[in-house]
Parts: sequence; C-alpha cells; structure tokens
Amino acid sequence: MSSDVVLVIVVATALVFDFTNGFHDTANVVATSISTHAMPPRIAVGYAAALNFVGAFISLAVAATVAKDVVDSSVITTTVVFAGLVGAIVWNLATWYFGLPSSSSHALIGGVVGAAFAASGSAAVESAGLLGKVLIPAVLAPIVAFVVGAIAINLAYGIVGRERPGVVNRGFRLGQVLSGGMLALAHGTNDAQKTMGVITLALVANGSLSSDADVPFWVVVSAASAIALGTYFGGWRIIRTMGTRIIKMDAAQGFSAQGAGAAVILASSHYGFPLSTTQVISGGVMGAGAGKQVSAVRWGVAGNIVVAWLLTLPAAAAMGALTYGFCDLFGNDAAGPIMVCLFGLAALAVFLSRRLREEPLPTGG
Amino acid sequence: MLATLVDTKALLQSVVASLVAGIGITTAFAILIFGISRSAEMARNERTALATAAGALATLAFLVVAGSIVLGIVVMTTK
Repeated sequence: MSSDVVLVIVVATALVFDFTNGFHDTANVVATSISTHAMPPRIAVGYAAALNFVGAFISLAVAATVAKDVVDSSVITTTVVFAGLVGAIVWNLATWYFGLPSSSSHALIGGVVGAAFAASGSAAVESAGLLGKVLIPAVLAPIVAFVVGAIAINLAYGIVGRERPGVVNRGFRLGQVLSGGMLALAHGTNDAQKTMGVITLALVANGSLSSDADVPFWVVVSAASAIALGTYFGGWRIIRTMGTRIIKMDAAQGFSAQGAGAAVILASSHYGFPLSTTQVISGGVMGAGAGKQVSAVRWGVAGNIVVAWLLTLPAAAAMGALTYGFCDLFGNDAAGPIMVCLFGLAALAVFLSRRLREEPLPTGG
Repeated sequence: MLATLVDTKALLQSVVASLVAGIGITTAFAILIFGISRSAEMARNERTALATAAGALATLAFLVVAGSIVLGIVVMTTK
C-alpha cells in the first residue's frame, strides 16, 4: 500500500517535472520567432505545444535510458527517482524565476545523481559515464553552436546582402516557422521520452511492470500532454532573455540560430550525442549576434547564462541529495515524499499569493 | 585519457556533421531567398534567361532544404 502511494507520488512528480520542462524550454523554440515577429506570441507557443505533443509519439527508443551509464541502476528506487525529480523541478523553477535558460535534461540527471549519491555513496555514481555522456558534450554543444551560428550568419548576409530587405525578412521569417517546427518536434521526442522513462522506471521498480515491457500507452499520452501544456503556458521570463536580452536580432539571425540549432541537435543525435537544446540554441543566438558584431552581444547576460549552465548539475544534485536525505528520515514509507509534496505546495501557495498581491495574474509564465 | 571516457571518433563525426548541417541549412535557405528575389527581379526586367537560371537555383536550394527537413524527421524516428 505504502509503495503504491510512493508510486503515485512519483508519477505525479514526473508529470510536474515534464510540465516545467515544457514551460522552461518553450524559449528554445519560440523566443527567436517571437523576437523577429515571425509569429505572434500566442500562436508561437500554441504551434510549439502542438508539435511537442506530436513529437512525443515519434519515437520511444530512448524512453528507458534516463541516467543510464551515469548512475548504477541497481541503486535506483522510487524514492531516488522522486528525489531526483524534485531536485530538477526546483532548479528549473529557480532558473525560470531569474529568466536563465538552462538544461532541463542536465537538471534531471543532476537530481538523480545527487539522490543516488545520498542513497548509496560515491560508488553509485558512474563518473566515467557522467564525464563522457554528459559533461564533455555539455562543454562542446554551445561552442559548436556558437561557431555554426557565427559562420552561418556571415554566409547568409553575404548571399542576401544586396537583396531587398522586405523579401529577405519575409523569407527568413517563413524559414523560422519551419526551423521552429523542427525544434519543437525534436524537443517533444527527446524530452517527453525522459519523463516516460522515469515513470516506466518507477513502475518497474515498484513491480507494477516487467522490466522488458513496452512503455504503457497512458504513460506516452500523459507525458506528451504534460510537456505540451507546459510549453503552451510558456516561460515568458526565459523567452525575453533568449529573444531580446542576449542580442537584438533580425530575422536572418533568428533563422541562423534556430535553423543551425536544429541541424546541430539532429546531426549530433544521429551520432549518439544527444545535446541540450537550451545550450545549443543559446550558443547559436550568441554566435549569430557575435558573427554580425561582437559588441552586439550583451556579454553580461551571456555570462549569467553560462554560470547557470555550470551550476545546473551540482545544484540539482544538491537538491536531489537533500530531498533524498529528508525522505530517508521517515524510512521507506510514503511519509517523506508526502511531506516534501506538502512543502512544495505550501511554497507554491506563498509564491502565488505574493504575486497576486504585487500584480494581477499574468497570462503566462 | 579522453579516448577512454568518450568515443572520440563519434564525437568528432558529430562535430563535423553539426558544422556541415548547421552551416549548410542556413546557406541553402539564404540561396533559396536569393534565387526567388533575383528570379522575380529578372522577370520584371524581362531578362528571361537570367530569371530562369535564378529560378533553377532557388529550386535546387528548395530541394536541399526540403531534403534536410525529411532527413531530420528520419533521424528523429530512427535514433
């Protein structure tokens, strides 16, 4: 009975994480399109949400590989998964509050690593896998995207530089609709699968599903719905940072960042290095800005974003470890996760009541 | 040291593919816009041969862009 309660809490928490993932990462898909007026804001987030939903059904190949090769799978329990999710959610909400685009995937991996470390010590963490599968690609991703964005924008300006600005802007805005669509599909495919993987992992750990079973259809639908809903709500603070605070971009820069970003993500994915969408698009935006004029990039904002990237894994790990430690005080029953959920709901109520006192309810995040 | 932690060959291939695909798609799309713009301008000036050549360039660029989109969806479905 107690393990079933924990399972229900883990599934609900995984869907909350999925919502924050969509909410947090909306900016990757829509920020440049909104900034260059390729699409009106509400249409852009609706379009991204619909394609995120569709993307979640495209492939289920990596649904069961969350934190694979990063932590020892034998130490993963429903409480470890729960604590990891809480760590990721807290970091996602903190970076959203400060308008910083950071990787939801790294937050999830960090949360699970921290919880596994708290549960079983350093032996539970596969440091070689963490370095090879997460840290090295995380360093390379924004650098490659920066270089691609910078070279691509210079080539684009060279090719269309003498054409009429009206035609060029209309053309690149149309291109942004296509590249944004590809990004939204890729995001739905990659990120909704992580939640499906987490829920499936919890079902297997609880004995509700055999380890060789397919991902249940209700898991696919609920994960797709949660990420699409989160995307539709839109993390407007991060959209503002990505769309206008790093550089003031034109349509060609928007397409270079977004089109090049989609190409980098899919090309890397093909070779087995799934990269962070957030880092690639942020790097692409900085590259497209610096490629036109180095001083056009607000390097202070860019620096804050890089600091958030560096902090994501350790901060989410620390939160995951703290949450696991707190739950462990109550033993193996459901009391710990229930207490954490109550704390979370209380914190949310305090935050919302303060926002209501300060300003009318916003239409989005 | 690095080679024991990460598949350096796959990583290098990934970087090269990212550079080629990322720069290639933006370049192809810019050529598509250039071709359409020039084709319309040449047609207005009644320079049919140049309009046709620019139109052909735009068509080629369009095929590259459309092919890249199809390839991207194939990568998503087969990974």
